[in-house]
Amino acid sequence: MNAAAPAIAVRDLSKNFGRFQAVKGISFDVAPGEIVGFLGPNGAGKTTTIKMITGLLKITSGTVLVDGLDRREQPAQVKRKLGYMSQKFSLYPLLTALENIEFFGGISGLAPRELKAAMARMGEQVDAAVLGQKIHDVPPGIRQKVALFVCLLPGPEIILLDEPTSGVDPEARRLFWSEIYRLKTQGKTLLVSTHNLDEAEYCDRIIIIHNGEIVAAGAPDELLRRKQKASIEELFKDAISEHGQD
Amino acid sequence: MKLFYLIKKELIEITRQKELLFLMFVSPVIQIVILGYVISTDIRHVPVGIVNLSQGQAAERIVERVRRSPLFDVRLESRHGMDYLYPLKKGEVKAMLVFRDALDRRRSLLKYPEVQVLMDGIDSNTSMIAAGYFNGIIKQYILDDMEKLGRGVPLAGRPVFRFNPQLRSINYMGPGIVGFLLTIITMFLTSASLVREKEQQTLDTLLISRLSTLEIYVGKALPSALIGLVDMVIGLLVVVLWFDIPFRGSLFYLFLAALVYLAAILAYSLLISVLSATTQQAMFFAWFSLMIFLLMSGFFTPVENIPPALRLVADVNPLRYLIKIIREIFLKGNGIAYFWKDLLALAAIAVTLVSISLLNFKRFISK
Repeated sequence: MNAAAPAIAVRDLSKNFGRFQAVKGISFDVAPGEIVGFLGPNGAGKTTTIKMITGLLKITSGTVLVDGLDRREQPAQVKRKLGYMSQKFSLYPLLTALENIEFFGGISGLAPRELKAAMARMGEQVDAAVLGQKIHDVPPGIRQKVALFVCLLPGPEIILLDEPTSGVDPEARRLFWSEIYRLKTQGKTLLVSTHNLDEAEYCDRIIIIHNGEIVAAGAPDELLRRKQKASIEELFKDAISEHGQD
Repeated sequence: MKLFYLIKKELIEITRQKELLFLMFVSPVIQIVILGYVISTDIRHVPVGIVNLSQGQAAERIVERVRRSPLFDVRLESRHGMDYLYPLKKGEVKAMLVFRDALDRRRSLLKYPEVQVLMDGIDSNTSMIAAGYFNGIIKQYILDDMEKLGRGVPLAGRPVFRFNPQLRSINYMGPGIVGFLLTIITMFLTSASLVREKEQQTLDTLLISRLSTLEIYVGKALPSALIGLVDMVIGLLVVVLWFDIPFRGSLFYLFLAALVYLAAILAYSLLISVLSATTQQAMFFAWFSLMIFLLMSGFFTPVENIPPALRLVADVNPLRYLIKIIREIFLKGNGIAYFWKDLLALAAIAVTLVSISLLNFKRFISK
């Protein structure tokens, strides 16, 4: 990873779906090793932005640089840098948890020995009987764990997590965030989208997006101080009302 | 190696669905047996009525031949005049055979009766064939009669039917059913494969993985191809062992043609999958396409019967070429020298469809 360049640099990024502009020329950076929370209500443009960074959606205008690489010019190299966990965990319901791990590890190019080691690692964290169940029978917390695990299998430097904690219980959320911190200590960069405002406190910086525009950005404490607000929730409501409600 | 894991995943997903397993491996046997018996142009036991008003021996002898023939089932006999149309209207019989002695003085000198054949023309195919059978019986009676009298027949065409001497329609249909099976299984499986990923929201993860576009494309097509080929073998075994249709040609050429055809049909099915938003849409497209492919393939009726304006559709229909090649190999035992043009046409269609499909697939992936 190029320490001098931002891990992710987004400049004047826009996305139009027909006449509807989902993302309106936003710009932001994510520094290497940083956890950035991407906050906003449903339909704010979080997923669209993340999908443009990953290459899953075409960019209407603007640029995305991932570790200095242009997403449009060098899509394959950018792909290798990124790990992505989508909103619905994106696991195969008819496959068992272990089969999902084997599949995602396999298509990530892991050698059979590495794959075996990865499966054994997962076996240390989760009961073997649960791992042998079809993924739709597995509790959401474990599904989330497996989804993050498979996202990390290719060894990405930059990890994009799209609403990873939606639909899981508070304890699973807490455990999930401790895992995020562990990844940060390993030097990973994380951009985490969420609409759970209390998760902002876990982030080094937050970016609040509303109606496709960034309405506030900065370290949570600094933002609260600057805007003279007592809580992130208050800050969020204020930022949104300033830019008009839906 | 990455491709291996994608194929393995696809096969696990398919085999975990018990209903799908039944549809893939049991239903082809049921289909082929049912189709084999139902789709038959052989006409047997045509219900007929006979009104014999003739006093002569000839009429009685011809009637006797009709009675003994397995082609006809005599449901009504009378020696008195009646409303000949009534049994046809009622649907009791498909044909009324009326024998009477000629009233005309000159004709009455002949020893043969006058014969009137009234046919129910609604089912034109059965009527034409039954009329042909009946004419055959009369013609044969006259020829036998002339031979008995020592009068040689000056000219007689005696057809020799090669490749299918008993003229069994199942011999014509059976090999076609094998091609039909290869189509139905692969088309339905493949057209659902990508759309299923969209619906279960796993497509994004697949697209962002280290798999290349080509690997995803091939990984989606190969499992269906594999299952299609297994079904083709099942179909071949049922056709050969159950229906006793001789396989005279080379298995190598049969599989070669099947592989080229699979490339075409899988590309077409993946195109359906890319263009469909839901599995329901994909299934509708697949069913509609299957009907067109089948009706324009020469499976039921010769391609030559298709009106010229629609012939172009038949010309680009890959199933048409596969069925022709399968029949050549199966029944005639022909080698590639006899069907290379069809194979070339099939290959050209396959290349075109793969190009269009791959282009759309790439466009879809980088949307």
